[in-house]
Amino acid sequence: MLSPCPAKYWNRYTAAHLLNRAGFGGTPAEIDTLESLGQKRGISSAVESFLNADDNGDLFEVPPLLTPGDRFAFQQRLKVAASDAEKQAIRKEVNDAERTSMIDLRLWWLNRMRYTSAPLLEKATLFWHGHFATSNQKVNEPYMMWQQNETLRHYALGRFPDLLKAMSRDPAMIRWLDLESSRKNHPNENFAREVMELFSLGEGHYSEKDVQEGARAFTGYRVNQQTGYFQMSPNDFDPGQKSFLGQIGALTGDEVIDIIVAQPQCARFIGRKLWVFFVSDNPSDQIVDEVATLLFRNGYDIGATLGVIFQSAAFYSPNVIHEQIKSPVQWMIQTTKMLEIPLPDPQLLENSLYMLGQLLFSPPNVKGWDGGRSWISASSLLYRYNLAAYLLSGRAHVLGGGNKSTPIPLDKIVPLSERGGEVQLVDPLGFRVFNAPLSPKNRSEFFDDLLRHPVPYTDMVVRDLLQIMMGTPEFQLC
Amino acid sequence: MKTPKEQTLHTRRQFLRTSVLGGALASTVPLFLEKTFLTLDSMAAATPGQYPTGKDGTILVVLQLAGGNDGINTLVPFADDAYYKARPKIGLPAGQILKINDYAGLHPRLTGIHDLYTSGNLGLIQGVGYPNPNRSHFRSTEIWQTASDADRNESEGWLGRYFDSCCQGVDPTIGVAIAGQTPQAFASPHANGVAFTDPGQFRYMSESASDPKAAEMFMREMNTPDNGNESIPDNSGASIGMIGGSPGDGGDTVEFLQRTALGARMSSDKILAITRKTKSSVDYPHTQLGNSLNLVSRLIAGGLPTRVYYVSQGGFDTHANQIPTHDRLMTDLNGALSSFATDLKTQGNFDRVLMISFSEFGRRVTENASGGTDHGAAAPLFVLGGGVKPGLYGNYPSLTDLQDGDLRFGTDFRSVYATALEKWLGAPSELVLGRKFPLLPFI
Repeated sequence: MLSPCPAKYWNRYTAAHLLNRAGFGGTPAEIDTLESLGQKRGISSAVESFLNADDNGDLFEVPPLLTPGDRFAFQQRLKVAASDAEKQAIRKEVNDAERTSMIDLRLWWLNRMRYTSAPLLEKATLFWHGHFATSNQKVNEPYMMWQQNETLRHYALGRFPDLLKAMSRDPAMIRWLDLESSRKNHPNENFAREVMELFSLGEGHYSEKDVQEGARAFTGYRVNQQTGYFQMSPNDFDPGQKSFLGQIGALTGDEVIDIIVAQPQCARFIGRKLWVFFVSDNPSDQIVDEVATLLFRNGYDIGATLGVIFQSAAFYSPNVIHEQIKSPVQWMIQTTKMLEIPLPDPQLLENSLYMLGQLLFSPPNVKGWDGGRSWISASSLLYRYNLAAYLLSGRAHVLGGGNKSTPIPLDKIVPLSERGGEVQLVDPLGFRVFNAPLSPKNRSEFFDDLLRHPVPYTDMVVRDLLQIMMGTPEFQLC
Repeated sequence: MKTPKEQTLHTRRQFLRTSVLGGALASTVPLFLEKTFLTLDSMAAATPGQYPTGKDGTILVVLQLAGGNDGINTLVPFADDAYYKARPKIGLPAGQILKINDYAGLHPRLTGIHDLYTSGNLGLIQGVGYPNPNRSHFRSTEIWQTASDADRNESEGWLGRYFDSCCQGVDPTIGVAIAGQTPQAFASPHANGVAFTDPGQFRYMSESASDPKAAEMFMREMNTPDNGNESIPDNSGASIGMIGGSPGDGGDTVEFLQRTALGARMSSDKILAITRKTKSSVDYPHTQLGNSLNLVSRLIAGGLPTRVYYVSQGGFDTHANQIPTHDRLMTDLNGALSSFATDLKTQGNFDRVLMISFSEFGRRVTENASGGTDHGAAAPLFVLGGGVKPGLYGNYPSLTDLQDGDLRFGTDFRSVYATALEKWLGAPSELVLGRKFPLLPFI
């Protein structure tokens, strides 16, 4: 089923689908550009344009964050502080600085997603953030969260074993899963358990004994407080014999990871997660096996594997296209691209993603976001509808405050030529909004709305129609 | 002005709408709601007869202590040498413990909870867990939420199954979770229950449109399940056909979203009306848990038909430097539960409410090198309410006869659920839990 999709199925809808899933969507003009690339040079070329895209990441300036050196200096000041009041003032200074930092850092990444020239790189980084779900709630050091984000991006489309090893040495991860305090004779099992359960094998594919032995191999992993870099503490490492997943030896953490990735189950686990994130919920055993085989053969090359998936017939199946519930981040980025507006006011953006359940750098737990239907509760769905209303109307009170939104460039996205009648308006606007054919019911509802208004339709009429379109179940899908 | 094509669009549905927009049929909105309730009722599984609602019947409040509460430092076995041997750094001094009996007592910060115990409204069920305990937060939470065996994966929640099989109709406010996301315990094929943190934001803001009435009406039209009659065409165009891929959910996803939206707007009207007119009689801690229980108490006072409320307190994953963190958590828990009990008593609703707490697991008997505790197994839980017979239930698990370093469970958590279902909500527990579990005498 990973067989390539025949060229005859390449069209505006399938091009839009690739743009949505390998990235964060685009305008009709961007969809058309991708479609014509596929028409001229084949679907493989369209897919390769994502894999080979030049990253413009340097354009996005990293916000000022307290470095480990800065924090170290604060620690020194705390030590010599004369009074409790002075100590409190220093702590407040740090906390205030960090609080702004997190908002700035989230905005930095979201803007990068919004304007990147390499959308697959950002999408894959988001995937890995959910996979290695680390929260600043516990790490409490934005600089480390940023470092981890850059590491995820560095390996996002590379080889998974390299990424897994990098994560075991990642300062934020070391703090998040308590490796910091794990030492010979007192190994902390948190990381060793999650490295198998959540990062590589899944529940039921290892024993409690493997957790205990694995934990011994990851003893001595530390973060240098002054530099913020990983460092090994040889005195805390347990060099003894370990028995792990059937292998016996004086294993190191890296060797434990080598043993893990040599399990076919690891390829199945990663393959399944990739499929669920990029393609669809509930993949069949057969398709998981095919992706796993591919991963196993190509040495867990994530970019190459995604390349095959994005060219496959299964990826363009009607059961897949426009059947995924947008994550809140996907909703936000795709919507602002579609409306051709910048991201909203940072505080409102922050509140929105919190309310919708996907605050970056703050996943609910180490399992990450469940995704799919779990994005939708009665309140989060209403919030999505209201968020759309806010973006369109600029009336911030509908979300409980914040600044006015940027006006939608309505004359640009709906030129006069599309305002002369309901068909002229609904079909192109429907494609822009949904990237999919309208159901007969929805199409006639949109016509019904327009019947009450004279042509050419005013901005007000177009804006109200957009609000109706975005307040639908179908708009939650990509 | 109308073209012939436009004329054909003039359906009954549109007739209704234009009438409403014209203001002639102001009563259509409640009629519409009634109609959709009927539609939904016909979609719901057959329900076995009439059941009381939370307006005047009994109410269950489920409190999740997320992260794995350290049960041993909550109900402290202060008279056991093994306790202090296992916990030289984080063992709580015997003199500070709020004694329950000669062996165990409550964490020093749980003064209000101790008062509730003495005044006869609180039970402590000791050694609650399940066979083959899982020490992963997520898996163990899932086991508690779905009431499944440890070696089985189920996606439906135990409360979702209760809503589906034992509750009249499909009023979505049958379950209310004060949470950003619906808890898995509510999960069911019928999207019962609503989740929100702020009632003020829990409504559709149609006034942002230049024609709010129309915006509201179209939103309603487009977010109503069609009883499965109308399906979405192949999105990629009919030409692509079936070219492989696993069978997906098809139009089910849209229907799921429609049901959720319908439930949201019906319940938002009710909830807003209640929260605007009710006030709590006591102060609550200004914490997530305090705010949540304050809200629950007002919704109960306002007569929402909810039978199950779900609230949570997070932060219990105390792997390192546990003492100050756990002190703070216990203070918060104590303050919030004490206020809640007082508030309900003042309202006269305390006798209708049963609260049960749970945490995905307790923590290891022996402290770790970081001044914290790792994931464990069995732990005590609280039951609170006017109908609770006070006391200690079950035995305190041995601190020395351990299973992989953890306490052995004596009471299956599903016995607690079964008791709440049978003796409090009047529901057949076997239908909800899949089999019989022994009932406990705390009610």
